[in-house]
Order: sequence, then C-alpha cells, then structure tokens
Amino acid sequence: MATNSVSTLKKRQQRTHLIMVVPALVLVIGIMVPFVQGVVRSFTNEKGYIANPSFIGFGNYINLFTDSKFLTGLFVTILYVVLALAIQLPLAMSIALLLEKSTFVRRIGRNFIVLPLLIPPIVAGLMWKTMMQPSAGVLNYLLSLVGVEGGPWLTDPATSLLSVVLIDTWAFTPFSALILLAGLQALPPSLTEAATMDGAGWWAGFRYISLPWLAPYVILVALFRVADSLKQFDLIWPVTRGGPLNSTRLLHVQGYEEAFRFSSPAMAMAIIFVLWLIVYLFSFLLLRLWRRTINAVE
Amino acid sequence: MQKIMAKAGFTVGFTALAIFVLFPLVWVFLMSIKGFDDVIAFPPKFIFEPTLENYVSVLFGDGGSGAGEFRQYLLNSFIVSGGAVLLSLAVGVPAAYALSANRVRGGDHLAFTFLSLRFAPELAIIIPLYAIFQQVRIYDSYIGLILAHQLITIPLVIWIVRTFLADVPVEIEEAAQLDGCGPWRTLLNVVVPVIRPGIASAAILAFIFSWNNLLMGLVLSGPNTRPVTVGILQAIGFDQVRWGWMAAAAMIAAVPGMIIAVYLQRHLVRGLTMGAGK
Repeated sequence: MATNSVSTLKKRQQRTHLIMVVPALVLVIGIMVPFVQGVVRSFTNEKGYIANPSFIGFGNYINLFTDSKFLTGLFVTILYVVLALAIQLPLAMSIALLLEKSTFVRRIGRNFIVLPLLIPPIVAGLMWKTMMQPSAGVLNYLLSLVGVEGGPWLTDPATSLLSVVLIDTWAFTPFSALILLAGLQALPPSLTEAATMDGAGWWAGFRYISLPWLAPYVILVALFRVADSLKQFDLIWPVTRGGPLNSTRLLHVQGYEEAFRFSSPAMAMAIIFVLWLIVYLFSFLLLRLWRRTINAVE
Repeated sequence: MQKIMAKAGFTVGFTALAIFVLFPLVWVFLMSIKGFDDVIAFPPKFIFEPTLENYVSVLFGDGGSGAGEFRQYLLNSFIVSGGAVLLSLAVGVPAAYALSANRVRGGDHLAFTFLSLRFAPELAIIIPLYAIFQQVRIYDSYIGLILAHQLITIPLVIWIVRTFLADVPVEIEEAAQLDGCGPWRTLLNVVVPVIRPGIASAAILAFIFSWNNLLMGLVLSGPNTRPVTVGILQAIGFDQVRWGWMAAAAMIAAVPGMIIAVYLQRHLVRGLTMGAGK
C-alpha cells in the first residue's frame, strides 16, 4: 500500500517534469517547422518573378555545384575558418597562459579581454573598418611611424579576407582564451607539482601535463569557433558586404544576398542548407571527439 | 637572470595584449568626442578639444539623416531583447530543471537538441520566417522579433541554467519533497533561489547576444521595430560616412555590454563558456 502511493507520487512527479519541458519544446518545434519548410522550398524554382513555383528536384543543388560564385564562396568560407583557427587557437593559448600567472593579473586581464565579446559585432567591424582605411586610417599611420609601409587592408581582394579574420580575431579570441584559462585553473596542482619535483622544465610541463589536460577545452574552443566562423555574417556584412570581388563572400553572406537582393529564396535556402550540413558535420565530429577526450582525461 | 627574462617577457606580452584589445575601443571613443574637422584630420589627432556634439546628434538629431530616430531604435532593441529574455526564462528555466539529473528520460539528448540550435546558421530559420511572418502579419512587429530571437536566447538560457543546476545539492530537493512540495514548488521555492546567480548570468548573456544581433533585425524588422544594430548600419551611407556620428552611435550601442563586462565579470565567464569554466 505504502509502496503503491510512493510509485503514484513518482509517476505524478514525472508527468509534471514532462509538462515543464513542453513550452520550450513547442518553441523549438516552432523553429524547426519553418526550417523544414525552407529546406522543402530549396527543391523548388521559387523566385521573385515566378508566379507558381514548382518542384525541380535537386536542380538548385546541381546549379550550385557548377556555379563558380558558389564554389568560391565555399572555398572562402573554409579558408576563413582555417585562418581563424590557425591564428586564434595559439593566440588564445598564449593569452590564457599569460593570465594564469597571478590572481591579480587574472582579475584585471579577464575584465578587459571580455570587452570585445560583449559589444555588437557590427560595432567591432565598423571600428576596425575606420581604422583600416588605407589613406586616412590610424593603423597605416601608426605603422608608418615605425617605418612599416601600411597595406590596403579591406580594399584589396588579396588582403581583405585576412583583414576580416583579424577583426574576427579581435572580437572572438577572448572567448577562446577564457575557456582555456578556465581549463588551466581546473588543472589539479598536484599534477604540476609532481612534474616540478621531477625536474621538468616549463616546456616539458606544458607539453606533457597542461596540454593533455587541456585537450577537451581546446576541442570545445574549436567547436565553438568552427561553427561560429562557418556561419559568420554580422561581422562581415557591415564591413565588406562580401567584396571586394567576392573575396569575403562567405556562404552565409551569399545566402542573404540570394534571398533578399536577388529575391531567390529557393536558391538561398539551398546555399544555407549546404552550409547547415557543413556546420553540423563539423560540430558532430568535434562533439564526439570532445566526449572521447573527456573520458580519456577522467 | 632567467627570472628577470621571464618577468620582462610577461610584461611585454601583457602590454601587447592590453594594447591590442583596448586600442580600438579607445580610438573609437576618441573619435566619438571629436569635432568634424578633427575626425577627418590626417595625420590622425590624438590631442584635440573634446565635444559631445556627436552624441547630441545621435540622440536628439540635428536635422540631418533622421538621426533623432536613434532613441526609438534603442527602445526597440530594449523591448525585443528584454521580451525575448523574459520569454526564454519563463520557458527555459523549468525545461532546464526537468532536463537535468535524469528527471525526464532522454533529458540529455533533448538538452543537446536545444544546444544544437546555437550552431544553426540563423538564415536557415530567418528566410522561412520572413515569408511566414508576412503571411500571418507579424513581420516588423515586436512579437515576431521576440519569437525569432528565441533561436538565440533559448539555447543560452537552458544551457547556462543547467550547468548551475548541476551544483544544487540533492539533499535540499529531497527535503523539500519530504515537506510535500511538488516539482513546481520545489523548483520555484527551493531551487530557483539557490541558482539565482546562474539565472542572472543566463539572462544577462542572452540579453547581450540578442541585443548585439544584426541579421535578425536586418530581415525581420521594418520601420516600426528597427533595432540599434540595423539603425547604425542604415545610418552609414556607403560613400558619405559620418565617422564621428557612427563612432558615437557605436559607443552607445555597446553600452549594455560594457557595463555588464565590468560589473558582472565573475558570473559571466562561466555563462559564456556554457559551463566549461567554473
């Protein structure tokens, strides 16, 4: 009798817990349904001037993969991610190691490196854009003071992508550094002490103790940075609008233009769906890697 | 000797970091308090007579390109981001609670589904929403934008609150249940007070990320609901850029984030890293 009432109580509790999830679930379904609808639209020839769109199968996708503009966009997107990671991971690691040195430095350092993260990307972008003006900008002026000839920055296709990556680095490296710093602080002191006792130098300690410990944190950084750079828009649109000569036209920017400048939502959704697949593939792989390293560390 | 070298290296590194991070902010702040002639002066001026004219122009207009509308943009951003966060808290806190500690079977999986929204390219949802919102006539409305912003705020709220929930001692809840509290009362009277810092940091971060977003407003807002970010973008005509005006507008748009960075830094890091850092 007593056990019976306990089990009905448990059941009631479980039901209430389910009810607690329902509103959030409704919202998520409200988000997923339009997405699925959009993917369906990517298989039509819907366009501004076509009155009754019809299904055309994989037509849009076949067009995409034979379209040099899309392929350039795909290439630029991947290059952007690779550059961002290659620059930001080592930089974030150095910053984390730097700030880890003392409590005092950590407190001040954390206070100011978090600033770029909290201001709107459009503001960060415009700030750098004013500074990067080739003739009147302060960056080239400061470089000229130390005898270095300034560059064309955003205005030349050869340097524009790297310049945007630099802005991205300013805006988002703090995020990566904060994660790695959290990882370093979670490192059990006993591990480093043992290494010092064994007479290991700084580099050996870092290479064989800190770095393996940090592996899951590094992967977490990679996960966030890869996903966010793949779908970067807010930082690029106000700064270059994809130019000059498509040199910074990442797929998310291209999708926006396709939908709202060329009123071709079907084509836009095809681009965005490809982008979505890429984002999910990488997130999935990194998430799996993350779980594996976490198990390895623990 | 080695110690001195290390110390020197440290000082150089820290100074370089501070300059890299702070210089753009300082520079744009200086720009925002420069008069027109000083802004376009070359070589760039570091010493000049400061003026508030750009801020006055942004906030109260000067008869030029409708700058007085900026206050409306600020209000719009407050309404949309504030509304989005309130909705996400109302819906997300109970969900985060139910989805933690195996209260619901498959809770972890569901939580990951919520998190995965964080990684979706926004346009995947915005392009379809644009058509739907026009059909149901909530394009350029606060309610439409608040719903769309859930894509940003819901995953943040659920994940941040969940990481804080993991620290709530089971004993507190068991005690509440022994006192006859149902799940709702346990959550609201016992658990919520304990995780208040977590809820605060979730709310603040969700607000900032919603406030900072450009793409949602660019597509789904119109003259009635235009947020700050889109307002700035529109104000900078591509060929005749009013740098001083832009700098002042940018500074104002960045105010919520900066205040929070300074005052709530402690809770922030854990929220930002979604539980990776404690």
